[in-house]
Amino acid sequence: MSSVTRPRREADFARFPSSTPIVIDNGASTFRIGWAGETEPRAAFRNVVQRPRHRSTGETVSIVGDTDPALMKYFDCTRSAVRSPFDDDVVYQFEYMEYILDYGFDRLGANSEVGHPILMTECECNPSFSRARMAELLFETYGVPSIAFGIDNAFSYKYNQKLGNCGEDGLAISCEHGTCHVVPFLKGQPVLGACCRTNVGGFHITDFLRQLLSLKYPYHTANFTWEKAEELKKEHCYIALDYMSELQIFKNNKEEAEEKTRYWQLPWVPPPKEEPPSEEELARKAALKEKAGQRLREMAAAKRSQKIVELEKQLSYLEELMDQLDEADESEATAILSRSGYLSQQEIKSAISKATQSLRKAKGETNGNEEKAEVSAADKYPLVSVPDEELTPDQLKEKKKQILLKTTTEGKLRAKQKRAEEEALREKLEEQRRAENPELYLEELRARYSELSEKFEQRKRQKVNGGQTNGNHGSSGGVGRGERLNAAQKERMRLLASAAFDRGKGEDTFGMRDEDWLVYNKMSKDNDDDGNDDDESELVRIASKLQEIDPTFVSKSEAVQLTPEPPKVRPLTAEDYRIAIGIERFRCPEVLFQPGMIGIDQAGIDEMVSISLRRLMEDESVKQRLCQSILVTGGSSLFPGMIPRLESGIRQYRPYRSPLKLVRAADPIIDAWRGAAAFAASSKFAKQTFSLADYREHGENLFHRYNIVYSL
Amino acid sequence: MEPEVVRAEMVLAPTLPFKKVQTADKYPKGQSRGRQWKHLRHLLQAADASSMPPDRPNYLNIQSSPSIYPPKRYCDITGFEAPYVDPRTKLRYADPEVFKQIRMLPDEYVQRYLALRNAAVILR
Repeated sequence: MSSVTRPRREADFARFPSSTPIVIDNGASTFRIGWAGETEPRAAFRNVVQRPRHRSTGETVSIVGDTDPALMKYFDCTRSAVRSPFDDDVVYQFEYMEYILDYGFDRLGANSEVGHPILMTECECNPSFSRARMAELLFETYGVPSIAFGIDNAFSYKYNQKLGNCGEDGLAISCEHGTCHVVPFLKGQPVLGACCRTNVGGFHITDFLRQLLSLKYPYHTANFTWEKAEELKKEHCYIALDYMSELQIFKNNKEEAEEKTRYWQLPWVPPPKEEPPSEEELARKAALKEKAGQRLREMAAAKRSQKIVELEKQLSYLEELMDQLDEADESEATAILSRSGYLSQQEIKSAISKATQSLRKAKGETNGNEEKAEVSAADKYPLVSVPDEELTPDQLKEKKKQILLKTTTEGKLRAKQKRAEEEALREKLEEQRRAENPELYLEELRARYSELSEKFEQRKRQKVNGGQTNGNHGSSGGVGRGERLNAAQKERMRLLASAAFDRGKGEDTFGMRDEDWLVYNKMSKDNDDDGNDDDESELVRIASKLQEIDPTFVSKSEAVQLTPEPPKVRPLTAEDYRIAIGIERFRCPEVLFQPGMIGIDQAGIDEMVSISLRRLMEDESVKQRLCQSILVTGGSSLFPGMIPRLESGIRQYRPYRSPLKLVRAADPIIDAWRGAAAFAASSKFAKQTFSLADYREHGENLFHRYNIVYSL
Repeated sequence: MEPEVVRAEMVLAPTLPFKKVQTADKYPKGQSRGRQWKHLRHLLQAADASSMPPDRPNYLNIQSSPSIYPPKRYCDITGFEAPYVDPRTKLRYADPEVFKQIRMLPDEYVQRYLALRNAAVILR
């Protein structure tokens, strides 16, 4: 991680007379502030704000610009993201703008009111509401006497014109953080009507790179921060002269592609190799386990004996109570009963029997269970044997219920017995057949197995194809477009649709009558599965049989895998920790030329030149003059290979062999500020500003016609 | 405040000498300001309605038009040229190996690849 430098606080604010303008280059990526007439801005920092919470004091603080990650541990950044006041290239969030201006003026050394005129840069055709709010902010909060707004690309062009890189008539192609602009200049003034803007810039390139890498290497998503992606972009990305042929190189030619690929090795510590435990280790571990097991067993035994003791105590108490009741007479009996908490003698008796049963169980005796079964049979159906006449109506109902229960349980028992008998018979027959002719038997078995497994797989495939979308959705009840429904689902849909619409026109009154719900009875509930069950069980049985007797048998399910498995989880090796940036090197900056790659439906920068020239509506000689002094500026134009590619791109739109000259700005990043500083230092600057009085007088309408004159 | 934080001068001071109105007074604590700031789209729409002669260049006028060339189709996973589209996921792919990989991708990754191209399905 590169070291982050934060600007120092300047100390010479008071030295400048109040007529010296302060020059601010308010860019979407960096904010630069300095004095007019100088060559370097005093302070430059990233144009972002974050507002985390300080952990120890709990207050929310504002931090402007890049931060040292080591110091960020004192702050809680969970609810504060890094925010920018810009959207594309227009300022719309003035709260953050205020924090940034605070910091900017603070770094410049302001300690009393900012009483200097300000020259601030903006984008082409900045909307008037943005200008108005900026003016309001500067006038009201900072006490600035007068302001001027200028276009940053125009300042850059004028500065380079003075240096001789471009002429009075020319074209400026500027690739910035959030946008790209093409501005034609005629007689030194930008022609705003012929300007052209595409909403792709350095930000989109970095974002594209970051997302591509994190999709390709999902384990390392945390490493691909935005700042790291920017670093990678600045260091490794280039623009291919011919995109399609570069793609072909990477696709076909392995060595050349290897040369062009860059690798980033993340720190990786191989996991410590585990040695197979030695004999002593094993013995020791076994002994420990034995001891632990024994301890557990002792504890269980102790608990059991404790439980037995308790139960015996309770039993004896209850029996005592019974004796007392027997001996005592009426009134005493009720007193004893109320004291003990039982309501009647019956209850006490049942409690005693329960206690004895649990006691027996705890002691591990089994004859209690059998007795219980018999007892329960007689208990459960006590009324069955009693003839009808002796019972009350309630008891009659009870008796009917009990008869039903009894018959069903008996029926179940009988069915189980019959099945067991059938099994035994079948087994015997099979053994006989096998004994007679082992070969034939084996053949038959194998044939039957393959037949069944075919049927099974086919059914499974049908179900899978009919009910699955993209392999990972859990519900099978939902129906999407374009999927084959199996017969049951089709039937269900048909019934529901007809039930809903057969009513009559108008509202849907399904469900108002009880009979409506019977529709659900008509639907088959996954009748596939019932049919499957028998086949499935037979399949399993045959498989197990085959495994026993046939040495060459391999179960179908092990051999074939229908659906490919998702990428297996295997231990990560050093390979996985090496991030390869091959094709992304030139794929990401290509977005400037083909914004369609990230879904933005606008023209790329080479086509923007032709659009701009067309909007100019001048004749050919003027266009030729313009194309002979094209300036390439802006931070995102620093990719290697930008100029040759632009040239070949623009040549496609110009007449054959017309002259074309592209020059890169002297310093594409700071030239805008330098141009603005030179402009502010000139004597004519004061006439171009507007003051608080003007603003109060005209309001926002002032900005509809406000444009400064750049030629000096 | 920890000494190193103070030394690094990271944090903005709550009151600054050159300001007529301090931030804390302008944006009192406790009020959620998240929804006060309208997005640029809405502001531009509002500005459109107000008086602005259409012949003068304004922010929306100078936007570049869609490209006259049809967009080239690139593979979503590898970046090569992609003549094929997977009908189930709508991802573009270059050759059969990539297709196998696409079919094994979990749904989340499919949507992220589509989002790179601004083609993801957004359910609101």
